[in-house]
Amino acid sequence: MELNNLTITKIRQGLLDKKFTAVEVATNYLDRINKLDQEVRAFITVTPEIALEQAKLVDKKISEGKDIGRLAGSTVAVKDIFLTKGIQSTSGSRVLEGYIPQYSSTVFEKVMSEDAILIGKVNCDPFAFGVSTENSGYFSTHNPWDLSRIPGGSSGGSAAAVAATFSTFALGSDTGGSIRQPAAMCGVSGIKVTYGRTSRYGVTSMASSFDTMGSLSSTVEDLALITETMAGIDPHDATSSSESVPAYSQLLDKVSLKGLKIGLPKEYFSEALNPEIKQKVMEAAQLYQKHGATLVDISLPSTSLGIDVYYILVPSEISANMSRYDGLRFGPSVRESKDLISYYMENRGQFMEPEVKRRIIIGTYALSSGYYDAYYLKASKVRTVIKQEFQDVFQKVDVILAPVCPSTAWPLGQKVNDPLQMYLEDVFTVCINVAGLPSLAVPCGFDGQNLPLGYQLIGNYFTEDRLFSIGHQYQQLTDFHLQKPKLNNIK
Amino acid sequence: MTITPIIGIEAHIELKTKTKMFCGCDASHFHADPNTHTCPVCLGLPGALPVPNKTACEWCIKLGLALGCRVNHSSFFERKNYFYPDLPKGYQISQYLRPFTVDGILDLDGHKIRINRVHLEEDTGKSVHLGGDTLLDFNRSGVPLVEIVSEPDINSPEEAKKYLLKVQQVVRYLGISDADIEKGSMRCEPTINIKIEDGDQTFYTPLVEIKNVASLTGVMTAIQFEIDRQIAQFQEDKIVKNSTNKTTRGWDAEKQQTFLQREKEGSADYRYFPEPDIPPIEFTANDVEAVKSTLPEMPDQKIKRYINDFGLSDYDSNLICESIDSSEAFEYGISVFSTEKENIKKFANLYINGLKEHLNKENKEIEKEKINPEQVFKVIKMASGNVVSSSVAKNLIVQSYEFGVDVENYAKENNLIQVSDTIVIEEMAKKVITDNPKAVADYRKKPLSVGFLVGQLMKASKGSANPTLAKEILEKLLSQ
Repeated sequence: MELNNLTITKIRQGLLDKKFTAVEVATNYLDRINKLDQEVRAFITVTPEIALEQAKLVDKKISEGKDIGRLAGSTVAVKDIFLTKGIQSTSGSRVLEGYIPQYSSTVFEKVMSEDAILIGKVNCDPFAFGVSTENSGYFSTHNPWDLSRIPGGSSGGSAAAVAATFSTFALGSDTGGSIRQPAAMCGVSGIKVTYGRTSRYGVTSMASSFDTMGSLSSTVEDLALITETMAGIDPHDATSSSESVPAYSQLLDKVSLKGLKIGLPKEYFSEALNPEIKQKVMEAAQLYQKHGATLVDISLPSTSLGIDVYYILVPSEISANMSRYDGLRFGPSVRESKDLISYYMENRGQFMEPEVKRRIIIGTYALSSGYYDAYYLKASKVRTVIKQEFQDVFQKVDVILAPVCPSTAWPLGQKVNDPLQMYLEDVFTVCINVAGLPSLAVPCGFDGQNLPLGYQLIGNYFTEDRLFSIGHQYQQLTDFHLQKPKLNNIK
Repeated sequence: MTITPIIGIEAHIELKTKTKMFCGCDASHFHADPNTHTCPVCLGLPGALPVPNKTACEWCIKLGLALGCRVNHSSFFERKNYFYPDLPKGYQISQYLRPFTVDGILDLDGHKIRINRVHLEEDTGKSVHLGGDTLLDFNRSGVPLVEIVSEPDINSPEEAKKYLLKVQQVVRYLGISDADIEKGSMRCEPTINIKIEDGDQTFYTPLVEIKNVASLTGVMTAIQFEIDRQIAQFQEDKIVKNSTNKTTRGWDAEKQQTFLQREKEGSADYRYFPEPDIPPIEFTANDVEAVKSTLPEMPDQKIKRYINDFGLSDYDSNLICESIDSSEAFEYGISVFSTEKENIKKFANLYINGLKEHLNKENKEIEKEKINPEQVFKVIKMASGNVVSSSVAKNLIVQSYEFGVDVENYAKENNLIQVSDTIVIEEMAKKVITDNPKAVADYRKKPLSVGFLVGQLMKASKGSANPTLAKEILEKLLSQ
């Protein structure tokens, strides 16, 4: 039996049926990482001792006939912006090189309390600033489908780890597309939840009013189960929602495709979209139609403003959120400085990656006296307009279907010198974060170069249950999500 | 030439909530071991998020209401961005565009000082400079801090003092802070400039904000220093206020002078923006009413009532209402004769000149529970009936308060019952005259000095002699 191709449910059942042990599952993944990650470079830190220790505990529980958690025996690769107590958490930046946190993020603890096994911490753009994982202060991660290409970002390590089957699932964060875009580019499923659905506590903040914590896995069914364990109010996060958490995994057949109104926003199928992607995404829509759904042409006219709003508000919040990285209380720092201001400038100058500096500068500028009204305030107003447009559309349709990104994975290095071009890669994902809506990325085929691509299902606030159900039914009808890159042939 | 100082005051009050403003850490920090009351939130560690303290929000609103402010029904926190080692996040969570409460009034004996705002923020950590090193203590980081900003309606150092004492009194009445300037739980930063009217010309000198003043006397001295300095400066350079020449000056308590700390304050850019980690805070009319209903009777109202209902003097009423504990103890003391104006007045005298004086000497705070209203009433009856002298009455109030004695028994056992028997007093008077030949000689030259001899007689009688009779008899004997 191939232990690295199982879903969470199957792993748990296999353990209970004594077909294999958790240690065997963990060892299998660790071997694979050992053998292949030098090519993919998904991991900043692999945690074999912890993984085996936790796996042994799960096996012990089973042998003693004790209850096991909902994620028992499945391994999790955790994006390095999530703090993990006692384990280096770098956020993909040199600013936190060697930083060992004193506490763990809430969502990580929740996942671990369901007997998941930590396999390692994965690479990302520093503090999640980026779309290709090339901004990482450590190294670039390679797309398992084509190692010369980017995995997407910023949760590129998470997506690559799942695609390469280095881990059953992964945790990621989505501030402007950082789960959905790498999921699509690596051919895995990813969920960006409603803002406030999951706690942000213990995850280094990017843009506080946009950040959401989610997961990536092979199947939507897995995502439903993981989200069920991750979501819910957290007394440590004032923006987390008290909305009750449905048992998503029990509701996968909840939505009937018959009569389901799926909106296709014309702005998301514009000229900017690669025709191959357009075709595959339309095929997915037509499959739904074939099974009884109605496709409705809709318009979200302010879509093009999404990028503008996003790249004003997000850097503004970033500029303040990054202020704590001053080299005084944690992280690496310079030894000698002539005065306080030099100390700040040398630390931040030396350890922050160029993209981090770029966003701090943009945000500082946008918030400056004399510019605040023209930028921050104006963008906040447009944010309200964008939210309202979605609300109006959800009067007419149940769910929106759109491509995740305008292109498939591009060659590493191709756009590194063109940050503006990189920013535009977020064009189909950012509006969802601006509005705070949930969105599920589902693989739906490959382009001519055998590079994966995907569509996203965007729902109204707190309708993750519907998204999972609609996405799951698609995966019952297709096998795109089951296809794996042929990594073993590399050597 | 007319010169008018224009003074506005920013006062910061540390709330004495159990926990800090945005985390569960113990908010007390006075004399605590450095960095023992800290957590990821108040240390500004990666990934930590602020969760507002509900009690602190309510207390801020309470204070705003007590100062006559209006509550903003929709309010939010903002980030004030600046770098300093004692500010771990690199921004302070404060309020800017939508403070919790605005537009209040503080009445200083008829002079109304407008309050611009009463808002909530977090305190910073403390930098301790030791030799060439700076040590950081984050125990104070994140302690709830209320900022009270007055309009520039204050015109003298004395008025500034009165204003601060009044703010302190209101805060202490609400029980939300010790508001102790020396311990730093109340801090004040006056901003001063001078209006100079010369014939038909009017000039305003540049604004100066004074920092680091650590005592009430310091505030007054600093303001006076700054008034004199600005007048002298203006005479020299004739520079007037504009939007960019506000400066910050520190107060050097040793040299008793202000010194320039920062120039061009006008150009500081804190890049305020709404705190995205905390959702906007809404207060419904009901919420505000609920807080209002918890407000105690405030000192101004209380003093008015004492004057009108009890017939007490303005001076006495102010003394009694100095603190809420003092007024509550007083009101408890009169509880068995609360409608008898004359007796209330008598108790006010015993309370101020007997009990409070005694406590002041001992440096103790009044404890309401130690007052026995029944005994108080007995003392007043004894004094009214001339059974004891007024000085004995004061003593009896103290004895009852400190040792719980029965005042009647105590007076009897200690021979404190007033002696009005002329024969007994005459005996004592004769002895006093014999024992004090020098005083007697003085009296012959200056009859007004009889007071000394009366005092000697009272002392000999342990205060039990009727002082009026004592004086009469002494004068009679001496004139013979």
